Amino acid sequence: MALFTRTTKDLILKIDEFFDNIDLGLLVFREGIKTYLAGDKESFDRHVQKVELLENNADRLQRSIENEMVTHSILPRHRGEVSSMIDLLDEIIDTIKSSITEFSIESPDIPASLHNRCISIMEASVSAGEELIPAARAYFKAPHTVREKLLKVYYFESETDTLIKDTIKFIFHDMNELDLAKKAHLRYIIHHIGNISDNAQKAADMLSTMAIKIMM
Amino acid sequence: MIILFLSSGLLLGWSLGANDAANVFGSAVGSKMVSFRQAAIISSIFVIIGSVVQGAGASDTLGRLGAVNAIGGSFTVALAAAIVVFMMTKFALPVSTTQAIVGAIIGWNLFTGNPTDATTLTNILSTWVSGPVLGAVFAVILYILLKTVKRKSAIHLVRFESYIRTGLIIVGAFGAYSLGANNIANVMGVFVPAFNLHPLDLKLFTLSSQQQLFLLGSLAIAAGIITYSRRVMEQVGNNIMELSSESALVVVLSQALVLFIFSSSGLSAFLRNAGLPAIPMVPVSSTQVMIGSIIGIGLYSGARNINFRILGEIAAGWILTPLIAGILTFFSLFFVKNIFGIHVGSKTGGAVPVELPATSPDPRVSEIMQYLILCLIAAGLITALLYYLLDRKKRIELKKSEEKFWKNMK
Repeated sequence: MALFTRTTKDLILKIDEFFDNIDLGLLVFREGIKTYLAGDKESFDRHVQKVELLENNADRLQRSIENEMVTHSILPRHRGEVSSMIDLLDEIIDTIKSSITEFSIESPDIPASLHNRCISIMEASVSAGEELIPAARAYFKAPHTVREKLLKVYYFESETDTLIKDTIKFIFHDMNELDLAKKAHLRYIIHHIGNISDNAQKAADMLSTMAIKIMM
Repeated sequence: MIILFLSSGLLLGWSLGANDAANVFGSAVGSKMVSFRQAAIISSIFVIIGSVVQGAGASDTLGRLGAVNAIGGSFTVALAAAIVVFMMTKFALPVSTTQAIVGAIIGWNLFTGNPTDATTLTNILSTWVSGPVLGAVFAVILYILLKTVKRKSAIHLVRFESYIRTGLIIVGAFGAYSLGANNIANVMGVFVPAFNLHPLDLKLFTLSSQQQLFLLGSLAIAAGIITYSRRVMEQVGNNIMELSSESALVVVLSQALVLFIFSSSGLSAFLRNAGLPAIPMVPVSSTQVMIGSIIGIGLYSGARNINFRILGEIAAGWILTPLIAGILTFFSLFFVKNIFGIHVGSKTGGAVPVELPATSPDPRVSEIMQYLILCLIAAGLITALLYYLLDRKKRIELKKSEEKFWKNMK
């Protein structure tokens, strides 16, 4: 019985730590992009390193959670879904890492006139991810509250899409001083930031179904 | 010869283990909350304890239905019931051993010309209806209660499932204990008067002649659980309806409650004193109660998940079991009596339990039994140890593989 309690406690801590990692990853990404746009290279590099560390930690936790669920036969009915959900959440931090690494390697030249738009897109996309975390936590403690928490994820995802569309339109229609290669690069970078909210929406869709199932 | 007669009881015990253990742990194994290995070990241990400690009481009702008064008759009745239960188990239908025994005893009554006690039969038959209904009612009440507690307490899902798992193991162990205590009489009860063995001193405690027989019978039940109950367990847990972990606990708990109500003389006396109708002390089929409980939850959740085809097959099994057992016993008795010339029983004029004359302890039979029991206990302990070591080895290998993976990653 003591073994059960210890394993259960360990697993709960690991799941919480995993969510904390994603949450922190989003926060660090937000600050990292702001420092990049502000031109603070040193601080930006520090944020890149932090994201890498958090992503590695999330991967380790993901594997450990899945292993423990299988070895100790925990949540046998929901194990597959919980693993898939954790996988989708891990994709968020993977996207964060690849996006911030692109900034670090490719050093996109973002004109000052686009800074506010980029920050708005990043804020909306990151907010979608941030709103997902309380919903994912609620799945384990109060599944009946999951769906209402997910409404904000859908709102921010749609907001991100609108902002991306407007910004790309602005780049291609109003920024004639930029050549096509630069425009394409900017579009590519912006789409990548938007991928965070797309992944959050995928996870939200899954969480929504899982919450209904567990309440039945 | 007398040991050979015992083999039909052991076969019935094996069939009971293969089939009825599913009633206790089927929903837990079906919902994957408890592994088959865990379920098999726990139920085997508690069936043995229940049989040896508290197995003496339950044969009264069956004795009133028809008192099999010859060892040849006991052998045939037990053999016919065992064959029927085995055949039903072969088709993965969770049948009741009590039903098979009742059918077989009525078959013996018909063959020997003994009357069947109508009151006892009506009492038994009525529990075949009231047991599942009561099981369904308890299941719905417990299910609502558990859901409300879960919602209000905001407990973490992982912790909640861990509590449910612990609950399933405790309730399952209690259920297995009751199964042994109630059903060992079906398996070995008819042989008790024919055997008179020397007490077996195991240093910590001494087993009487009856307890040695019950221990042997319960070891046969345990063998049935380990070797053949997996299919029925999975059928019970999954095929009627997909069970969540909490419904699995509710099913086992409501089944235990119904069995308790129908076997608690204290509760019956309390109701009688309060001016309410007393509950009859009749052995209830745990199979029927469990299926009633599953249907109760299914109906409460909207009946969308219930597999009515499987349910129909199970209901057909309930009607067929006593019928086939009765017919098979009747014809088997004819063959045993006329071809082998073995005495299978005589007309007593009334269904009053008849005690076979007690014989003085036979040292040879006692010695064989003692060695048999000690060998079986040793074999059981070695198997349990092997199970544990294999499990431990698997866990260590998994841990090593994970450590190696992360080492390579670095």
